[in-house]
Amino acid sequence: MPGMWWVVGATVVVALVAVYLVWTAGRVERLQDRAQLAARALDAHLLRRAAAAAVLAERREGVELYAAARIALDAGPEEREAAENDLTRQLRAVRLDPSDADCEAIVAASRRLALARQVHTDLVRDARSARGRPLVRLLRMGRGHTWPRYFDIDDPTLTVPAADVPSR
Amino acid sequence: MRIGIVCPYSFDVPGGVQNHVMDLAEALIGLGHEVSVLAPADEDSPLPPYVVSAGRSVPLPYNGSVARIAFGPVSTARVRRWITRGDFDVLHVHEPLALSLSMLAVLSARGPVVATFHTAMTRSRMLAAAQGVLQIVLERITARIAVSALARKVQVEHLDGGAVEVPNGVAVAKFAGIEPLPGWPGECGPGTGGTLGFLGRFTEPRKGFPILRDAFVELARQRTGLRLLVAGPGDPDDLFARFPPDLRDRVTFLGLVSEPEKARMLRSVHLYVAPNTGGESFGMILTEALAAGTTVVASDLDAFRRVLDGGRAGRLFPTGDAATLHATLSQLLDDPVQRAELTACGDQVVANFDWPVVARRVLEVYAAAIEATDGRVIDQEWVGLT
Repeated sequence: MPGMWWVVGATVVVALVAVYLVWTAGRVERLQDRAQLAARALDAHLLRRAAAAAVLAERREGVELYAAARIALDAGPEEREAAENDLTRQLRAVRLDPSDADCEAIVAASRRLALARQVHTDLVRDARSARGRPLVRLLRMGRGHTWPRYFDIDDPTLTVPAADVPSR
Repeated sequence: MRIGIVCPYSFDVPGGVQNHVMDLAEALIGLGHEVSVLAPADEDSPLPPYVVSAGRSVPLPYNGSVARIAFGPVSTARVRRWITRGDFDVLHVHEPLALSLSMLAVLSARGPVVATFHTAMTRSRMLAAAQGVLQIVLERITARIAVSALARKVQVEHLDGGAVEVPNGVAVAKFAGIEPLPGWPGECGPGTGGTLGFLGRFTEPRKGFPILRDAFVELARQRTGLRLLVAGPGDPDDLFARFPPDLRDRVTFLGLVSEPEKARMLRSVHLYVAPNTGGESFGMILTEALAAGTTVVASDLDAFRRVLDGGRAGRLFPTGDAATLHATLSQLLDDPVQRAELTACGDQVVANFDWPVVARRVLEVYAAAIEATDGRVIDQEWVGLT
């Protein structure tokens, strides 16, 4: 009965396609969720750095640094990247003393921010590339989410002068 | 923090990745974390208490050498069981793109995954061909670590993703108080004596041994009592055949050395010479020589320049230039003050590569991966970063 084999064959193909589609939909969903969570972690680290910068500015009476920190804390989504870059520039201008606890806090916060930014960028890239596939676009998978956005800022890592690094 | 580390290569054979994993695990345990390492190993081989065996491994040619790895349904089941039992806060896999336990662990993982890339694989065609499959693996990785600038470059160019550069660590404490071999390094005065050291496969062109040999032969004729200490795999007859007969008694060959012997060897020389001509992605041996308190002379490779802080912690010479190497060696052997200055600076530099320091940076990456998985920020104190 050749007709029967046609039916079996078609069923298998349909089943495989269905499995693939479900798997792909799950994958797109997962990647987008991850990018969103990474964005939240990045947001928290940005706030932490700005707060640490504000503390340092108050202690040192750095008016410009304090203003930059305030602007970064209050910035809306549109101007936030520019405000954070501004804060990075202000922080770079500060003479950092590694023995001072406030300086150490800002250096640590910047380092953690750099990691959060790196992870976020990678996860956003993965999510965008999954979502940009033709099949995914055609079937409008993941449309419950907005497209994940990059957060494009300069590397916030602060370098302490090498000679001053305390040897542990 | 509960940390699960996966090592793809068998602990039955020594290797750079295995040493890295063991040192990292010990440093993390030292910082008060719970660590379990999964690695292939024969049932009866002695393992540190924190290592869980994933069964026997099979030799497989990989990336230009033979790696002993485990892969297959049995290994998959073991990896799954280990992950479930371990209930880890973070899973840290090494070399996840080789067909190995690491890849299985990545595919079985549910929580945050950190991956470390050791080799600077440049066979981009293979990577490009498998891109679709690799993408599935890469997508499950939350944060990536590269141990060198070169490994990071491969990440960025071929795997389309960034990576955090965290250098290889060196267990500085293990080098402290190690005695040199009896009778070494011997006398070293102006114009006489002195000992040079070389460690590595002297037959491999990239290690640059002929450059050191040329410099040594010329210098040995000018300096009485100059000696050369060589360690590494190879045939002694082959080594001695490379030197003129009258100088052979001034060359000592140790053969392949164990880790503790390596530390003693590095302490037994006045100058450690790394004449490599390329292919070196990090320069582990230089950090080890610095940890042993030995003055380093190295070729001006990018990786070496970084480790030696641009020449502050050790002398650099133009890559492949035996004449300049000869002059540098001669001058440094005559000048104990300058050697002391270089080693003093080396102590400072190597402190940044000390495992407890490096492990703290790895912990920060763990924190970033965990945060990116559940969206909350971890307090410094909780992860023991301070």
